[in-house]
Amino acid sequence: MTTVDVAPHRRKSLRKTITDSRAIQLVILLIGVLVLWAIISATIDRPDRYLPSPLTTLFSSVDLLEKGVLISFYTDTLTRLVIGSAVGIALGIPFGLLLGLNRNIADMFYPLMNFFQSVSGIAIFPVIVIWFGNSNTTVMIVILYTSFFPIAFNVLSGVRSVPMRYISAARTLGASRFQIIKDVLLPGAMPSVAIGSRLSIGFAWRAVIAGEMLAGQAGLGNMIFAGQELDNTAQILLGMMLIGLTWIMLDHYLLRPLESDTIERWGLVQK
Amino acid sequence: MTAINEFSVAIQRRFGRQKIRKFVLGSIPFILLIVLWHMNSIFLVFEPVEIPPIADVWGAIFWLQSDCPGVFAAIEGHNGCQLTNHVSSSVGRVILAMVVGVPLGIGFGILAGMNRVISAYLEPIGVFMNSVSGIAWIPLAIVWFGVGWETTLFIMLNTIFWLLFFNTMMGVRAVPKVLVQGVQTMGGSKLDVILQVYLPGSMTSIITGLRMSMGFGWRALIAAEMIGGDSGLGFMIFVSAQEFKTEEVFLGVILISIIFLATDRWLLVPLEKWTIERWGLVWKPT
Amino acid sequence: MTGDAKLIVQGLSHHYPDEYTGESVHALQDINLQIHDNEFVTIVGPSGCGKTTFLNIIAGLLPYREGRAMVDGVEIKGPGPDRGVVFQEHAILPWRTVNRNIGHGLELRKVPKAEREKRVQEYIDLVGLSGFEERYPHELSGGMKQRVAVARTLCADPVIMLMDEPFAAVDAQTRITLQDELNRVVMATRRTILFITHSVEEAAFLGDRCIVFSRRPGQIKTEIKIDIPREERLWKDMVNNPKFTDARDEILSLVRSEVTNDDNS
Repeated sequence: MTTVDVAPHRRKSLRKTITDSRAIQLVILLIGVLVLWAIISATIDRPDRYLPSPLTTLFSSVDLLEKGVLISFYTDTLTRLVIGSAVGIALGIPFGLLLGLNRNIADMFYPLMNFFQSVSGIAIFPVIVIWFGNSNTTVMIVILYTSFFPIAFNVLSGVRSVPMRYISAARTLGASRFQIIKDVLLPGAMPSVAIGSRLSIGFAWRAVIAGEMLAGQAGLGNMIFAGQELDNTAQILLGMMLIGLTWIMLDHYLLRPLESDTIERWGLVQK
Repeated sequence: MTAINEFSVAIQRRFGRQKIRKFVLGSIPFILLIVLWHMNSIFLVFEPVEIPPIADVWGAIFWLQSDCPGVFAAIEGHNGCQLTNHVSSSVGRVILAMVVGVPLGIGFGILAGMNRVISAYLEPIGVFMNSVSGIAWIPLAIVWFGVGWETTLFIMLNTIFWLLFFNTMMGVRAVPKVLVQGVQTMGGSKLDVILQVYLPGSMTSIITGLRMSMGFGWRALIAAEMIGGDSGLGFMIFVSAQEFKTEEVFLGVILISIIFLATDRWLLVPLEKWTIERWGLVWKPT
Repeated sequence: MTGDAKLIVQGLSHHYPDEYTGESVHALQDINLQIHDNEFVTIVGPSGCGKTTFLNIIAGLLPYREGRAMVDGVEIKGPGPDRGVVFQEHAILPWRTVNRNIGHGLELRKVPKAEREKRVQEYIDLVGLSGFEERYPHELSGGMKQRVAVARTLCADPVIMLMDEPFAAVDAQTRITLQDELNRVVMATRRTILFITHSVEEAAFLGDRCIVFSRRPGQIKTEIKIDIPREERLWKDMVNNPKFTDARDEILSLVRSEVTNDDNS
């Protein structure tokens, strides 16, 4: 069990060079998954119902593109995500600040916020449906609700984590209360704003998909839900791929860079 | 008067001044909310179908259990015990999914954390699976398993597995190498290293993963029950909403939150604290 | 002579690829060394001379190709309980109490519990950790953690103990105490030890024999015998012992010439 590989390192083989490269590993993985998918699809009964082949899935997009619905599904979902999370974040930041600045207010509202956060946007969906029906408003409220809490909690802890010595330093320089908030606490909380925003948008993304499915509003969520009702599994798979890929792109190329830039630039809080 | 003063001093000694202050302040909004709710059912600003009276929500418990012959029947899942059946159906699935998903997630997570080749192939799949999010699997799960408990179980399992896999993998990677070498030089086998170094070393990360998978999994389960289930609390509130039985919806929502809060606060958070404090683990996976 | 040699190293060289450039780095060059039973050998050299690489090879944590290395006549092919290692950092497990950390080697070898406890207690007393048996490592000071690490290795009863700058991370005062204590423990238990350090004083104070490494590629430059009985090796006496001060000064000048050489090139 405890033997070690005594292979010479200098004769680093071609095989090892290939398996060590991250890009090549990804390509191998992608091909492997597609081949496996195609093989399973070819061997099962009724693949159109249970697992259409990768090609069938790809071609189903042509049909949807021709009708023009794919693009509109996409823009519908993204619009909801942007507006819903923007409003949620815009409400969450001042609320978190208020709680972070005043201990009494924080102690007062923290348990309440904790409770409502755990209620989760999906669980309150039936209540919202009773109030507003199966409408776009319902979906928007669910998105707003889910994106509000992560940002509010993060801003709260961000303001709290600004080291006391910065506040004392500003005070010895004769800063007023307002100046301390503006020059010390707000910049100090910036990294938390970035982290919280990313979290909020992540939660909002799930809420959009769920909300569209449940309320039957046009979009990617509804696209996969309708796929199941219409017995069009290729459409479900296509929708899932789009949902997954969109989030990876959004997270990797927009939110994460934004987050790390902010932390780098404003990161006066040493952990 | 002095008796009251003595009493308050005694209470402050017992629980601590800060805790009492927090408790009193924290309960003010809840009390206010309940008062407002009650006022509404007196002045009827909103209709009962929009916001039902508190008494109706409370009454819904007994209404839903009205055909239940007794405690034993409720445990056995008698048809009349609607509410307890929905609760045990949801909770039972969580437990089942945990029993299967947690060991699997931890096992694969340890493998991937130890072996770079395995992680190179499993990690991107994990990233994709977590990005698709549990909820988006619901339609496909319905196609595969039909409407029912298999679908909801699958959704829950899928969510739990990938979250635990990721957290365990990160935890294993953060374990200092010298601890592994220490056990190896004392003659420890690969299995010894896994059980005595990697597993305890990634424990805090695993528990964080457990908390996350409870959070996301419970939400996904509720959604799955709404769309593709035939029992459980999610199913109950969805059906009740369609029939405009708002008091049942309110009851269900409150129960869903309380069950989640209770497991998190009384089970997972203490567990997390215990491992961190007892072992003094400081390294945190990034 | 070879009859009682616990560690035999013949013609050992080592290359490894640089982590960033990928170029082959020549770390060790033709090392020949024998360590006999009950001998305390120290290795000292400028930083980056490959002394830790050497120890890792002997510990079996690093595979080697060129040359031979044997413990008790058996070729080294990986880590094993015949070589106990005390690491520079704290390698004791945070989730095990002092007791269970010290007994870990025996536990891995499935020694029955009763015997294990008896031996653990013996070593706890020996390194002065009585009263701390049930503590977790994070509740101990740096010096105490290293005592646990030493006791853990002693308790596992290896053929040879390998120590990799074990006292480098503790403060100066504690280091002196630990060095005195190590001497006492070695006297009490009769051990074969290979001890790596960058401190010339430590090397001269502890070693029966001190080996000076050249700068990279690490080669054995000289070997200096320090003929002082272990009973006499106490810091309060040693500073006035000419045998010690001479040896120390000689090693110091050897190491210094290596460092200055390095600067010139």
